[in-house]
Amino acid sequence: MGECILKMEDIDKSFPGVHALDHVHFDVNKGEVHALMGENGAGKSTLMKVLTGIYTKDSGSINFEGREVEFHNTREAQDAGIVIVHQELNMVGDLTVAQNIFIGREFMKGFKIDDKKMIEESNRLFAELKIEIDPKAKMKDLTVGKQQMCEIAKAISHDAKLIIFDEPSAALTEKEIEDLFVIIRDLRAKNLGIVYISHRMDEIKVITDRVTVMRDGGYVGTLITKDCTKEDIINMMVGRVIYEEPKTKSQVAPDAPVVLKVEHLNAGRMVKDVSFELRKGEILGFSGLMGAGRTETARALFGADPKTSGDIYVNGEKVTINSPQDAVKYGIGYLSEDRKRYGIVVQKSITENSTLAALENYMSGIFINKSAEKKVTNQYIKELATKTPNADQLVVNLSGGNQQKVVIAKWLVRNCDILIFDEPTRGIDVGAKNEIYKLMNRLAAEGKSIIMISSEMTEILRMSDRIVIMCEGEKTGEIDIAEATQELIMDKATRNIE
Amino acid sequence: MTKKKNKLLSDQRFIVLLVIAALIIIYMIFSPEFRQYSSILSMLDFSYYDVLMAIGVTFPLITAGVDLSIGTGMVCYALLAGSLIRNQHVPVGVAMLVCVLLGCIVGMVNGLLIAVMNLPPFLATLCTCMITRGIGSMSSAVPWPTTQQDGGWFHSIFKLTFGTGRSALKIPIGFILVVALVILMEFVLNHTKFGRYTIAIGSNKEAVILSGINVKFYHVMAYVICGLFAGLAAIAYAAVVPTVQPGTGAGLELDAIGGVFVGGVSATGGYGSVLGTLAGVFVIVLLKTGLPYVGLQANWQQIITGAVLIAAVLIDVIKRRRAAKAQ
Amino acid sequence: MQALHGREGNVEKIKENPIVKKLGFNRIILFCVLILMYVVFSLLVPGFAGMARIMSVLNYVYFLGFLSLGVTFVIATGGIDFSIGPVMFCCALISGYSMMTLGMPTILALILSIVIGLLFGLFNGYLVSYWSVPPFIVSMASMNIAKGVAAVFTKTQSVSWPLKDDIEHGGWFRNLVSANGFPVGLIIFLAAAVVCMILLNNTKPGRYILCLGSNREAVRLSGVNTKKWEMLAYTICGILVGIAAIFFVGAYTTVQPGYGDQYNNEAIAGCVMGGTSMVGGLASIGGTILGVFIISLLQEGILALGFAKDIQLIVTGIIVIVVVYADVMARRRKN
Repeated sequence: MGECILKMEDIDKSFPGVHALDHVHFDVNKGEVHALMGENGAGKSTLMKVLTGIYTKDSGSINFEGREVEFHNTREAQDAGIVIVHQELNMVGDLTVAQNIFIGREFMKGFKIDDKKMIEESNRLFAELKIEIDPKAKMKDLTVGKQQMCEIAKAISHDAKLIIFDEPSAALTEKEIEDLFVIIRDLRAKNLGIVYISHRMDEIKVITDRVTVMRDGGYVGTLITKDCTKEDIINMMVGRVIYEEPKTKSQVAPDAPVVLKVEHLNAGRMVKDVSFELRKGEILGFSGLMGAGRTETARALFGADPKTSGDIYVNGEKVTINSPQDAVKYGIGYLSEDRKRYGIVVQKSITENSTLAALENYMSGIFINKSAEKKVTNQYIKELATKTPNADQLVVNLSGGNQQKVVIAKWLVRNCDILIFDEPTRGIDVGAKNEIYKLMNRLAAEGKSIIMISSEMTEILRMSDRIVIMCEGEKTGEIDIAEATQELIMDKATRNIE
Repeated sequence: MTKKKNKLLSDQRFIVLLVIAALIIIYMIFSPEFRQYSSILSMLDFSYYDVLMAIGVTFPLITAGVDLSIGTGMVCYALLAGSLIRNQHVPVGVAMLVCVLLGCIVGMVNGLLIAVMNLPPFLATLCTCMITRGIGSMSSAVPWPTTQQDGGWFHSIFKLTFGTGRSALKIPIGFILVVALVILMEFVLNHTKFGRYTIAIGSNKEAVILSGINVKFYHVMAYVICGLFAGLAAIAYAAVVPTVQPGTGAGLELDAIGGVFVGGVSATGGYGSVLGTLAGVFVIVLLKTGLPYVGLQANWQQIITGAVLIAAVLIDVIKRRRAAKAQ
Repeated sequence: MQALHGREGNVEKIKENPIVKKLGFNRIILFCVLILMYVVFSLLVPGFAGMARIMSVLNYVYFLGFLSLGVTFVIATGGIDFSIGPVMFCCALISGYSMMTLGMPTILALILSIVIGLLFGLFNGYLVSYWSVPPFIVSMASMNIAKGVAAVFTKTQSVSWPLKDDIEHGGWFRNLVSANGFPVGLIIFLAAAVVCMILLNNTKPGRYILCLGSNREAVRLSGVNTKKWEMLAYTICGILVGIAAIFFVGAYTTVQPGYGDQYNNEAIAGCVMGGTSMVGGLASIGGTILGVFIISLLQEGILALGFAKDIQLIVTGIIVIVVVYADVMARRRKN
């Protein structure tokens, strides 16, 4: 193990309403793969954004290659030799692969961009990474996995000294992950520093040398990977939070009626012939890799996106759902993974958000009955324990967990019996997570039926009564919780790909 | 996948060419007048300023913006430069430079308002549209020199005239000129940093910022180029209009913008071609200048260009919806 | 969490003064600006403070007010309509021509004006909401269609509406603007503004329009027919533009085809100045009213100071830029 390449000390960063980083330490040596772990919202991505100049730190010091540094944008960080492979893909869809890889540093022949050389260079990079991608293809025509590979190629082409992988495996198949590990080991052998952010415990054990754990924006500790067990890491990540007990068997009564039946649902490229049933009081987990088509299935079922074919039955009756209006009419509510874009109207009050789906019940004549509206809102604020000074508070001022509760309230006010939770705890801090879990269990116990889409294996195993697994737009398996294991799910989630 | 799409796009340009051919044939059948060389010549004469504006405005439109100030801007530059010629006896060459320079300045103002101050493009340029109209109106109506007058040489940029009177031979070299400019700008769009970043800004501005590119600079440049071409258009406009009238010019931008959309630029940005613009703008020009030949009064022009604009954008919307459905 | 509470503390502080809370900080400032402008113009221009000037400003307020009220609904959805000026002219030209040349009764002509406005509103709204054509493109197209239609209909002639004593042609309609020196128009305009205020703040359409302006997808995914409500906003705008046309000819009598663009900017300026955000979701009818008064006073003041009409264009253009920039900055501070 080589000398220290990066040392971040006492990093502190606050956003309005959140203390995102609380005096965090982090360091990386040359020729080392250092894992950065923590649950959603623990502050990993924020720390890396501070490092690469996307955010400015409030206090603390960053030492890179023996020099004190402070980057103001990603370009400066890149020039110094720090590159990041983003979790969200930052690609220009209308440009080609080669044009994307070399954007901002094109090879020039006088005034003319030397596209030929860029294509050659891209081919050389892909050969080095042993992957096959056509550099002349438009970026938006590639699969998510291929796009990820292009991001990695772009990062490597920067002649970097420190590469940050931000959850690179979320969209990759087992085979692609193996390829990725070969690449990472290569880079390590070249004495580069590597930061590896991931949720997957198995990968951490395989590829990393050290692990730093963060929780609630704070630094918990650093371990040597080979000297510690999975349980050590999990304990550090979870800390004081006591989660709902994982289910060992389904809580659904054997004779519970089927409330929702989907048959041969097809929609676009991402949903191919999906069929499943949802029973009263059940939490049905949807597992799979990123881009497996789970969200697309939910959106098509909900009428948010057009579908090509398929039958939907609610309480045994065949229904036509062509728009969210139809879905809501049949008592289906959808809680999006991206709350800010699809869930809440952030600049409006809790009241306005809560009654959005059921405004017709709060009218007197042609006027909105504002006192009735407020009454029902206050009732749900109390029932869901939403933390807010009053019902007039703008939703933008609430924390992630409380915003999620407002969305839940919206569907409960509408009296929906079928709720689709898409990544219910994404972007919610660890403490609030358990509250959402408790709430979901309570709703199920009260007879609501829940579809839960989640990329966190632990969440799937903890919450579901039954698990549907998808891969590349198809349903590849359905397992009862009693038989479910991480290995079995992963196996089915990648079945179509190899 | 890519091949299929390329085919589709070339199809759109192909269809536009078919439309042009169809229009010409219809006019020729219904109007003997249209068949004369002088009619074609006059149609071309009146097309140059539209084509030039359209080339320029292609760039803001590719960035998913727009420039509504080109029409009134063009008239404003022609007025100001024209007054310089008449009142200050400035040589025509200098006046032409003034046009281009004013265009660049107004373009730069637009760019700064949009890229740096983050104003919505249509609103910022709607304001500069009003402002240029107001400034232009402060000058009085001015004719630029005619062919016979001192400084009339600038007409030969667009039309070479040999001989005099009825038998004079007139060659529309302006057409060759604008085609050359179209090819130049097509090259700029596809093979220079400026062009590439213009497309990238329209496609995913966030990603371009994260790539460490000086996005603001290139974004402003798109509007400067647009202004520059509006300045060039002012010269072409002064060459065909007997007298430049203050207070006019509003609505001319629609011909250019409509042409760009007919040429296949997406209303959401990220894709465009200057060659397509050239074809598209000729559809508009034919509709505009050809209508009187088939007996429709000139006011129908506005209605028809409005309808064509909507139709072109609707085709784009439908195409995108189909693509989204296939996703 | 602590920071969150700190911010709530600030919110409380601003809310402390009940009068400020009721009227809104923004609107109080606008009101002061309005008074200040009036005082300045009165000092600069002898005789500005007279009743004649006030009536002249009010004449401007009526039609601009209806335009501004209309565009407030559209901007609240996050859209834009800058065809309103030319559409207003189109309404006035076609209905005026029908009345003066084709002999249509005045009352029908007034209704025709509103119907034409309504049709343009439906056309704009349908394309924007059901076909997702960007609003600025729709505006551009219908602006030219309006000019073209009006010019074709009137054969490019200007149209003069009947004068008050022209009983034969139905000059009575001018009593809607002012009767025996009493500003009836002001009463009608303020009544319309109150209706708009209630519509926007206390009814379902208003709630949906504001919410979809803030986050269209979230509202759609709540099972609301966003397309319908968005189209409604443009339709309301169209109707108000049709009414604006009546007040325009009531005050200025003659309309010429091919014009009307400048009023777009003035109406948008009044609306955004009043606190309606260009990105949608936030709208204030009270603010719009004040904004309209300020713009009208300014236009009158510019002419009274002896400047040409062209200066009005330039000044309004600059005002819109400044006001919208302030809106952009205010939003950025919030985030």
